[in-house]
Parts: sequence; C-alpha cells; structure tokens
Amino acid sequence: MAHRVVVPFLVLLSMMFIVLGKADVLLFDRLRIGIADAAAPVLQVVAQPLSAVAGAARHAEGLFDLYHDNERLREENARLLQWQEVARRLQAENVALRDLVKLSPEGAAHYISAQVIANSGGAFARNVLVSAGERDGVARGQAAVTGEGLVGRVAEVGERAARILLLTDLNSRIPVTVASTNDRAVMAGDNSDQPRLLYLPINAVVKPGDRIVTTGAGGVFPPGLPVGLVASVEGGAVRVEPFAQLSRLDYVRIVDFGLGGVLPQSAVPRPKAKRGARAPDSDAAR
Amino acid sequence: MGMVLFQREAGGFPNKLVPFLTTLLFVVISIVPWHVPGLAMVAPAFGLMAVYHWTIYRPDLLPPSAVFVAGLLLDLLNGTPYVGTSALSLLLTRSVLMSQRRFFVNRLFPVLWAGFLLTAAAVVAFEWALVSALHGAVLGARPAIFEALLTVAIFPLASYLLARAQRAFLMRV
Repeated sequence: MAHRVVVPFLVLLSMMFIVLGKADVLLFDRLRIGIADAAAPVLQVVAQPLSAVAGAARHAEGLFDLYHDNERLREENARLLQWQEVARRLQAENVALRDLVKLSPEGAAHYISAQVIANSGGAFARNVLVSAGERDGVARGQAAVTGEGLVGRVAEVGERAARILLLTDLNSRIPVTVASTNDRAVMAGDNSDQPRLLYLPINAVVKPGDRIVTTGAGGVFPPGLPVGLVASVEGGAVRVEPFAQLSRLDYVRIVDFGLGGVLPQSAVPRPKAKRGARAPDSDAAR
Repeated sequence: MGMVLFQREAGGFPNKLVPFLTTLLFVVISIVPWHVPGLAMVAPAFGLMAVYHWTIYRPDLLPPSAVFVAGLLLDLLNGTPYVGTSALSLLLTRSVLMSQRRFFVNRLFPVLWAGFLLTAAAVVAFEWALVSALHGAVLGARPAIFEALLTVAIFPLASYLLARAQRAFLMRV
C-alpha cells in the first residue's frame, strides 16, 4: 500500500531537514521568519484576549494588596526622590567631566515597543516572537529589554515580526561583566531559568548577589545594561538570575543603540569554512 | 490518503478537514503566550495531544502527510534551530500508535490517559535525546520532564474538546 512508502519517505525527509538545518543555517532562517511573518496577524489576534485575561487577573490580584502596595510605594517614592536628586547631580557632573576630557557623546538610543505574540513553547528553545519587524526599524542584533533589564537579542527579523533569542536559550551568548569587580565573562544560556557565566578569569571572586551588566565588547550591546544578579556559585558553576521576568513577558522594548557589531547573517562563515586560511592578512603575517 | 483529505463533502464544509485543522490549531495554541508564571516558558505539547487523539479515533483523516505538515509548522513557528525534530517525533508517534490503536479504541478514558502518559514520556525523551545529540551536549532534563508532566496533566481537557469536535463534525463522515 501507499502507506508503506509514505511514512518512511516522510521520516527520511524530516531527518534530511534536520541535517540540512544543521549544515545550512541560512535556508531555514529565511523560511522560519517568513512563516512567522505570515502568522503574525493571526498570532496577534489570539494573543490579545489572553493578554487581556491575564491583565484582568493581575488587576484583581492587585486589588487585594492595594493598601500594602500604597504604603510600600509611598516609602519607595520617598527613597527614589532622593536617588533622583543624586542622579541629577551625577548627570550634571558627568556632562561636565565628559566635556573636560572631550569624550564623544553617547549616541541617543532609539526604542521600539513590541508586543510578545508567541513563545517557543517547547522545552528545547527559549525565544519569543514580537509584533515589530523591519518596517518598525527592528534589525538583527538589537537588544530587547524590559524595565527590569535585558531580555535577549533580536535573532531574526521579518517584515512585521521578529524573533528574540532569550538570555536563557541554549544558543544565547552575551558578553557581560561583574559590575563590582569588572571581571569579564560570557553569559551562556542552557535552557534553564538561570544562565551560566563562562570564561571568568581564574582569580575572579564572584559571590551570590553580585550585579551582572553587559560589556560593550563586540559592539553588540552598550556597556552597563542591567542583566541580573549572581544566584549561586557552586563548584565553579556560576549561575545568574535575570532581572527580567522572562516567563511573563508581555511587551518588550527593542533598543537601537546604533552599534554595528553584528555581522549580517550572510557574512557569517559556514561552520566548515576555515576563516584563518582565507583571511587576506594571513599572508602578510607570514 | 492525502487526496481524501481535500475532497469536499457534498454538504459544503469539508468536515473531513476537522482533524487536520484542529491539529494545526493546537499547534498554534501551544506557542501563544499564556501569561501563567512558569507555564510561558514550557508550554504543554498541544500538537501531540491532537495527533494522539486523531490517530486513535480517525487515523484515516489525519494521514502521515498531515502529521508531517503539522510537525513542520511547529518546528518553524517555535524557532528551534533544528527544523524537523517535531515532524520526525510526531510521525514516529503516529506510526507506533497505529500498531497499538486497537488496544485503545472503545476503552475507558483512564486507559486512554495512561496510554498518553507513556506516549508523552517517550516523545519528550526522544526529543530530548535528539536535541542533545544535535547540540553536542547533554541538556538539562528538568524542562523536558516538566513539559511532559504538564502535557499529561492538560490532556483530559484537550481530549474532551477534540471529542466534542469529533461528535459535532464527524458523526457521519
């Protein structure tokens, strides 16, 4: 019967896709974002009521704590007003010092708000699809943040949708630094809720509670974006609890800092290609 | 086979498409954000529930090609770097279930649920092993186990909805 042939054929086809996807990343990237683009309006329609229900639930939850929240916020407000004063003074001082040392001014960041319309769902990937794309000015490599901190970076961009690779994804690597000691490291996701710090200097002293921020290394993110706090240090494995609540993302802001550190995807060499052998300056070195 | 799927009923609405359409719908549902703390990161595998249900009750209306398309759509939508993994695991699920489906048809729900527990455990374990192999490192098993448990826990609701759809559209088809 036809069945006997169809199933093995389709199984083989799936395997081929898997191998092909591993060898030629570009092909499926295009297909993926194309599908996401096409599905974006549908997903947005489905996501809207769910978001509204969740909002209403949170609202009802909030009513119960109104009194306590009010107290807490009053205290917080008093404290923040002091900080505002400090920030103003520091800003003025900063401007004056920058002027003094002739430092070029920081480029103004440009923010794009986007609604989260889908997430990866499964246990093996951590990303979200947002309702802003090329037409809104989103580009590959831009940082996605919430008020709390860094969420991830833009991995794929379509016309009206973009995929954001979260900090916790298996393939996420973010250059960071321990704020108190300036020790550099790479924060690598492993699909758990708390990414790990890799390549810390051997003599680095890291303890739970240390603040982790981005470095400007690689020209992808601006330095100093808040990322998270060190959650645990166990047998050399340092884990970071992100500031952003990645499991309840509703809206994110995509930030364009005007940095050009991310290569266009077509410029990224295939895994097989040996970069060193073809680099034009390798001859000069010899 | 695939052809049967697209034959229009004389009555107008192609009822035979209901299994395929609900499967696609379940795939989409599995990736929309639910805003439940914790759940958002690991959502139940709704697509698997639909494939399980239709393979047992109406395998004629959810042929391998339809399962393949649904799996591929899931892979492309959820942004996994390994396109084809869901398509493969759903196809294998269908094949294995086909050989066992006589055992499940006309049984009480607990039997169906127990069968789904085994299926979900096997599928998640398979995907975990596959993605680990492709990634070249052993992945943490906790999100996978959590996904399997969540999927099994939500199955009764999905099964109820699918059975309702089956009764409403496929009584005479």
